[in-house]
Amino acid sequence: MSKDHTKKEMTKKAVKTSKPISQWGIAWKRFKKNKAALAGLFIEGIILFMAIFGPFIAPYPPNDISAFMEGRTREAPSWDHLMGTDYTGHDVFSQIIYGAAPALQVGVGAAVFSMVIAVLVGSIAGYYGGKIDTILMRFSEVFLVMPAFLFLIVLLKVAMTITVAGFGLGLTILVLGILGWAGDSRAIRAEFLKLKEYEFVTAAKCLGASNRRIIFKHILPNVLHLIIVLITSSIAINVILEAGLSFLGFSDPNIITWGRMIAYSLEAIRGAWWQGVFPGLAIVVTVLGFNILGDGLRDALDPRLRE
Amino acid sequence: MKELPKNVVLEVEHLKKLFPVFEKGILFSHQTGSIHACDNVSFKVEKGKTLGLVGESGSGKTTLAKTILYLFHPTSGQVFFEGIDVFKTFRSKNKQDILSLRRKMQYIFQDPYSSLNPRMTVADIIMEPYQIHRHIPKKEWPIRMYELLRLVGLEDYHSERYPHEFSGGQRQRVCIARALAVEPEFLIADEPVSSLDVSIRAQILNLLGDLQSKFNLTYIYISHDLSTVRHICDEVAVMYLGRIVELAEVNELFESPRHPYTKALISAVPTSKPGQKSNRIILPGEVPSPINPPLYCRFYPRCKYHIPICKKKDPKLEEILNKHYVSCFRGKEKLD
Repeated sequence: MSKDHTKKEMTKKAVKTSKPISQWGIAWKRFKKNKAALAGLFIEGIILFMAIFGPFIAPYPPNDISAFMEGRTREAPSWDHLMGTDYTGHDVFSQIIYGAAPALQVGVGAAVFSMVIAVLVGSIAGYYGGKIDTILMRFSEVFLVMPAFLFLIVLLKVAMTITVAGFGLGLTILVLGILGWAGDSRAIRAEFLKLKEYEFVTAAKCLGASNRRIIFKHILPNVLHLIIVLITSSIAINVILEAGLSFLGFSDPNIITWGRMIAYSLEAIRGAWWQGVFPGLAIVVTVLGFNILGDGLRDALDPRLRE
Repeated sequence: MKELPKNVVLEVEHLKKLFPVFEKGILFSHQTGSIHACDNVSFKVEKGKTLGLVGESGSGKTTLAKTILYLFHPTSGQVFFEGIDVFKTFRSKNKQDILSLRRKMQYIFQDPYSSLNPRMTVADIIMEPYQIHRHIPKKEWPIRMYELLRLVGLEDYHSERYPHEFSGGQRQRVCIARALAVEPEFLIADEPVSSLDVSIRAQILNLLGDLQSKFNLTYIYISHDLSTVRHICDEVAVMYLGRIVELAEVNELFESPRHPYTKALISAVPTSKPGQKSNRIILPGEVPSPINPPLYCRFYPRCKYHIPICKKKDPKLEEILNKHYVSCFRGKEKLD
């Protein structure tokens, strides 16, 4: 057979009539048409910009209490302090900008971390099936029924007593990640169960492809759209959880977070509403942005809607 | 190794594939029976020839084909390919042996819409066998890929495209190119044209025929379309409820079918002349359930020629004439 092949003339330059479009290209076209999804992307773009360039765009340094020196604590919003100042004279607007980075770091970090576990567990359970599947899924159910928030608080409390100094964001990311993978792993398992019966997987087996090749080259790229959607909604959940934890005081006191800002504002919420309302709005806008972005991505990537 | 008769490349012996049927209990499910998808099937295929496998939906054609290639794990039985025990090789987990066997036998799927990975370009799809087997140097991969594309009647620029940009017939061409990339000797074509437009069918079948004569390929052609079977096959095996009920050379089978089921099947082929009277045999009843099928002749409930022994014993596939095998107690008689 090879002889016949080599007899054929060598390859000519490929002639193109029109540009090939990948599935991702189609999804992006669909995404662009969705106004709400673009708004979500825009919001998250701003939050990301704040997180990266915060120190350059914030009008006051993080620990600036010059307002306190001038006796301008708990001052209402003005041109000097767009969102007013807090009890110790910090500029609320600057603090919100500084709070974007930890919120995103925890949200994205925990979402990615839990997704790594979810993909590993889900793909192995779904692809191999049988006993492995049963064991892994019973294991994931343990994490599903656990009262996550209570567990988080206990874990962080223990961690805080062990590490006296600030423990940064790593611990929160770790704990949120470990508690958040179970639901996603089941969704990924379901997708694997479906796709492993597709004929292109059988075709790959017939060609002699190894299990690893089938999982990573054939099935996983077809689950990627689901992973993206799940990560986006998981970021939103983790941002809320992180805000809740730091509101209750379970976060590194050296890091400015929106939850902690709300907690500090409580004692004077009637007189100085701007201390609590603006960080609250920041949380709402961020979470809402991720949710509509996730919805838009799902609509754009869902294969059932594909033309 | 097993010595096979001259020219025989594939020998299937007493192949059996049962699918367990489970019933859900409170905590655990338990097996309540099995589907006899493929039951005690034996046949041989000669080098360069085409064996047609016909039968209605659910008769076990696809199961048989996929089990031969170890895409389903067989319950019992043996398959020899060029003297190599196929199942033993796959069970041995010896990667080198398995890969070399995989290279020799390939499969073309029924549905070209789901048998191509939607996230891979045609170039990636056709070059994947090279990545797996590494039987040709890497710098020749694109050259070979373009050769294969042209061989199956596609253009060079198609290589950069994704499967969803193609029609069904073009996709089937891509599937054929992928199967040919490993330079196989034996191809199973599982209803390769049944999901295609009638106008495209002839093109794909002609392509398969051309490739067969060019590379001296051996085919198993699965179909329920008897007219195409008559056109391209050398031998035909008729399946009913997991069994081969009749096996003969193509003209012999179409001109003097012996099994009542084959007769009914052939009588159902539409005639080309309008107004021509067709003596269509209508079978009464339905196919029995393949879960725990009857222990006597499986065709008995629908057969109008049955005699008492048909309900007592299970007929064996016997050679009644030269190379004409029938599984019927009245196979030697000429039934009308």
